[in-house]
Parts: sequence; structure tokens; C-alpha cells
Amino acid sequence: MRPSHLLFIFLLLLTFINATLYVHAKRLANDLKADQALQTIAVAGLGLTDLCVATEARYTRHPAVSDPMAPFMDHPGAIEHFPTGSFWNAPTNSETR
Amino acid sequence: MIPKALEKQFNILDFSLSSLWRRKLKNISIMLVFALVIFLLGSFQMLTGALTNSAEAVLENTADITIQKMSAGRQEAIPLAYIEKLRSIYGIRAIIPRVWGYYFDESNLANFTILALESDSMPNGDKLNLTLDHGHFPKRTEAGTVVIGRSVHTILGLGERRIFSLFRPDLSLKSFNMVGLFSQQTDLLTNDLIVMNPSDARDLFDVPTSMATDLCIYVANPSEIETIAKKIAGLLPDTRVLTKIQIQKTYQVVFSWRSGFASICLLTALVAFAILAWDKASGLSPEEKREIGILKILGWETGDILAVRFWESTLVSLLAFIIGCMAAYFHVAFFDASLLKPVMLGWSVIHPPFKLLPSVTLADLLLIFTFSVLPYLGATIVPAWRCSTVPPDSVIR
Repeated sequence: MRPSHLLFIFLLLLTFINATLYVHAKRLANDLKADQALQTIAVAGLGLTDLCVATEARYTRHPAVSDPMAPFMDHPGAIEHFPTGSFWNAPTNSETR
Repeated sequence: MIPKALEKQFNILDFSLSSLWRRKLKNISIMLVFALVIFLLGSFQMLTGALTNSAEAVLENTADITIQKMSAGRQEAIPLAYIEKLRSIYGIRAIIPRVWGYYFDESNLANFTILALESDSMPNGDKLNLTLDHGHFPKRTEAGTVVIGRSVHTILGLGERRIFSLFRPDLSLKSFNMVGLFSQQTDLLTNDLIVMNPSDARDLFDVPTSMATDLCIYVANPSEIETIAKKIAGLLPDTRVLTKIQIQKTYQVVFSWRSGFASICLLTALVAFAILAWDKASGLSPEEKREIGILKILGWETGDILAVRFWESTLVSLLAFIIGCMAAYFHVAFFDASLLKPVMLGWSVIHPPFKLLPSVTLADLLLIFTFSVLPYLGATIVPAWRCSTVPPDSVIR
């Protein structure tokens, strides 16, 4: 068997795995729709503003209702010490940093 | 019959594969490192994209406008008297005060979110029981009753018990009776929540009856949200006014390639490629040069040698790209993004399960492709071209 034939077999295998992942993604999206219907009720009924992802600091638990400069406002000259802050975007205006 | 040009490319491809296999240890190592870098970038983008998409889909029903009182750059309790001032603005349908805050459980080092409001007055307030695994939402007449999130239940170690206590600011204890538990399906929002009646929350946090934490405002006509928000900001200059659109866009704004973690991933990728490019551009090994010389003596043209190098680089980089992206999908969809989760949760004691649909968009794939595959192709073709133009006898001598 030529080496290129082996490569094509390998590529076919990768294509098959990717097709399976595509089907998985479609199914997961359908499952999540049912969850999202309930989540929408919770958001509307309780006025929730944020996802419960990081609970360590108030500005990472509720970024939507926190100040953009919250990481640095605990005391003058405060540095950001919460690990989850590393996922956060820097302010757009570099002069305000 | 296969056309002659295609047959030639198949032969060159065969030769390239054999050549790659001869140096399999080196090439597989390069491919794995390459795939690892792509996996890191891909995982970050799929995870943050999934969170952004979930937030956008779910938070569309949040309050039209949220008002918080600011003092000395910090949020503080808002007087309920502000509600009367707001009544003068035409178009406001409902104003609902909320009392909420954080309760730090010192024995478990967990941070819970306590939320209290008249849920009967909220949209979908009558359907809230659907979000529970069992039980019901606290009725106005049921003092001291709460609904809790699943992680709160686990961390407090309630088991079959229903009664637990929390400390007031003066360290006296207040007892609560759990009358409901949030469903697993709403974990992404309610995992750390304790929902109670406003009077209980005021008692727990020692908030005066004339104050609330913030005000949720609903407007009659959704197209007037921005106009009414501006009017509120003018009427109550000491408040921060947040609209529904701003809240929905939060996660798009906070997660970006400019965030610290993404920068580290990108820098890692760039440094890896700088090293690789430097290694490749500094010249081929004497063995590789001799191979090119022999091929030229046998009658191969410069174009053929470049085609071999092109196939080799394309195979290594494309396979690394496909494997890296697939691994990133597996990581986020099947393993709860377990490598990124510790960074994402930081020092949080509450670990919500991430049941998320990885976000795979063409734009992200193209960005990762541009950062990874294209520099590699450039870094390998140029030295091959430089070497293949050298007279063969000077190379093999």
C-alpha cells in the first residue's frame, strides 16, 4: 500500500470523528435548549444579571453589575490578586489603567 | 486514469510521507507541540465563546433597567424614596426593589449570593417553581424560608436536614428553613444562590426597611429603554443606570484576546513559533542538504524539491491543527474544560458544572490557523528554497 493511501485512510478517520462531533454538538444544543428555557424563567423571575461561574470576588461573580475598575478599588494602589481576574479584558483606554 | 500532473503530486506526496517517517521522532514531536499550542488557544476560545453565547441567550429576560446608588466610587444601598421620584418618568411599567449581597461562610470559605425580592411582581414569577428540583418558592407569609442552589446544599452539608443558620453582622444566628432546591438544569445561574423573603434578607444583612440594594425597572415599550435610562440618569445623578443590552453584552466585553490568560496563550504560541522559525531559518541540517543535493543530481528540479518541502510542512501543520482543534472540543464538551477551569474559578470554593456547547466559529478557526499554520509554512519553505538553489556538487562534497 502506498504511503499516500495510508494518509487518506487516516484523513477519512479524522473526518468520521469530526462528523461524529458535529452530530454530538447538534444533540447537545437540543439538550441545552430545554435547560435554557428553565434558565430564562429563573432570570426573569429573579432578575438575575450574571452566570454563576467564578464566586471568589464580587466583580467576577457579577461582572455585569460591578464597576469596570473594581479589581483595583479595594484600597489606593491595590493590585489585582484574584486568579479569575486573569480572564478579564483590560480597559479599552490604556491611559486609564 | 489519473492525470499526469496529479500522478506526479501523488508521487511527491508519497516521497514526502516517507521522508517524514524517516525522521518520525522529530516530526511527531513537532506535531504534538504544535497541536498542544493550538489546543490551548482553541480551548480558551471555545470555552469563553460558549459562556458568552449562554449569557446572551439566557440573560435576554433580565430587568430592562437596573439602578444602583453610588457613593465615593462604591455601590451602596439605595433609598426606597427614589421609587417615588421615578414615578414622574412616563413609560415605566414597574419598579421592583431587590435586597441582595454576599454571605461569606467562614467555616467552608465559600461565598454565597443572597437574593431577596417580591418574586410575585416579577415577570415569570408565577413559573419560578418550575426551576426547582423539589419544593416551592418562599411565600410572602412564610418567614425564615429559603430556596437554595445545589452547591450551597452540598457545601452546608445539609443532607436530609432542612434547617440551617447564618450569622447576622452582630454575630447572632438567624435560622432558615429550606423549602426548595434549585434544579440541576439551572446550575449555570443558581448554583450559589440563597433566595429568601426581603424581610429576612433585611434582618440578615441589617438593612433598614427604607433601603434596598438596587431597583429593577421594567418599561412598557422596549424600544424606549435607552431613552428612559437617560432620563433616570438625569433625574438621579448619584446612581449607575444599567440597561438590559449592557448586561447582555458583558461577557462579550470581559472575555477577549486582550485578557491576561488569552495573552499568555497567544504569547506561548508566538514564542514557540519564533523558536521554530529561528531553528528552520538558520538552515537545514547537513543530512537534509545532502539529500537535496542527491535529488538534484538525480534530475529533480527546484520546483519538485519545494513541492516536497511544501507537502511535508502542510501535512505536519494541518494535522496538528485538526488534532489540536478536536482535542479542544473534547476538552470543553466532555471534560468540563478541566485544564482551564481552575484558572476560571480561581479561589472559588463553589465549583459549578460547566455543561456548555463549545463555540466553534469559522472566524476563530481562521484566526488560530493564521497564528499557527501560516507562520510554520513560511518558516519551512524559505530555507528549503535557499538550499535548493545551491549547486548540488558543493552540497554533497
